[in-house]
Amino acid sequence: MNRTNEILKNLYKIGLVVMLAIFLLSIFYEMHNLDSDRKRYLSEHYISEGVQETGAINLVASVLYDYRGFDTLGEVTVILTAAAILSFLVPIRKAAILSNTFTIIVDQTIKWMIPFLAVLGGYLILFGHLSPGGSFVGGVVLAIIPILLTIAYGVEISEYKFKPSKKKLIEDIGAVGFILLGFLGVLTGSNFLASGQANFGIGNAGELISARLIPYLNVMIGIKVGAGLAIIFNSLIKEK
Amino acid sequence: MIDIIFNLLMIFLIITAFFIVFSKNISHSVITLPIFGAILVVIFVILQAPGVALAEAVMTAGLTTVFFVITINKTKD
Repeated sequence: MNRTNEILKNLYKIGLVVMLAIFLLSIFYEMHNLDSDRKRYLSEHYISEGVQETGAINLVASVLYDYRGFDTLGEVTVILTAAAILSFLVPIRKAAILSNTFTIIVDQTIKWMIPFLAVLGGYLILFGHLSPGGSFVGGVVLAIIPILLTIAYGVEISEYKFKPSKKKLIEDIGAVGFILLGFLGVLTGSNFLASGQANFGIGNAGELISARLIPYLNVMIGIKVGAGLAIIFNSLIKEK
Repeated sequence: MIDIIFNLLMIFLIITAFFIVFSKNISHSVITLPIFGAILVVIFVILQAPGVALAEAVMTAGLTTVFFVITINKTKD
């Protein structure tokens, strides 16, 4: 009796998940995103005119930093608020170092990995408008470096290498610089954060210095996300 | 050939998702999460979305797993 009850309960859970899957699939089909007989004016415009208007080959970057710049500003504000609240609420105390005994292999592997991680993060940020990737992913790759140091050697070594005050300064530079770069659009006679309509030199699409404001916005978001995630991780690991 | 691989990966995705949801041991669920992410990365590459695949690889396999493991380590006692 008890056993059948258990089986019935499991079947009920699995049935719920399957029902949810069928429901979501029917919604996706109802939205007419999967068939191609509808006219999709906005996405057609982004795909066909995006490279000429913004100069960014990566269409995701052109949407994120030109057409939808305000959304990116909102994301930045969310991360800034989260990092500020975490570093404010979590009390500063001596951290309990994780008790892992690592061999020489782990030590040497981390020492060899960190320069490659730095180069990969820098590449992803700087070439964000030309290749897949972008500043958010590059910032996360850069934030992996202090996280790796924290996990391997403890939070004290990590905060000795990357001082918390300097990380906060870098994060503030990123957040404020994004807004100041947005005001460049106003200065050139257009809207806030407008780089497509403003009168900057567009350059040749495909070169590193092109696509108007997008590379500089990429750099700002990259250093901001990297410093913010490192602050969040170190604050959480210090909490007892 | 690529269709067979694609469908096989989708089936593996469903299996790992069910394992994550219904597993009793919470650390098994957390360690299965990057496997789910890795399968999803291959699916995104097959669907020709390398940007999303890169984001998925970095976030799921790298950052989220670290956060979850640290959280479990902190809350165990």
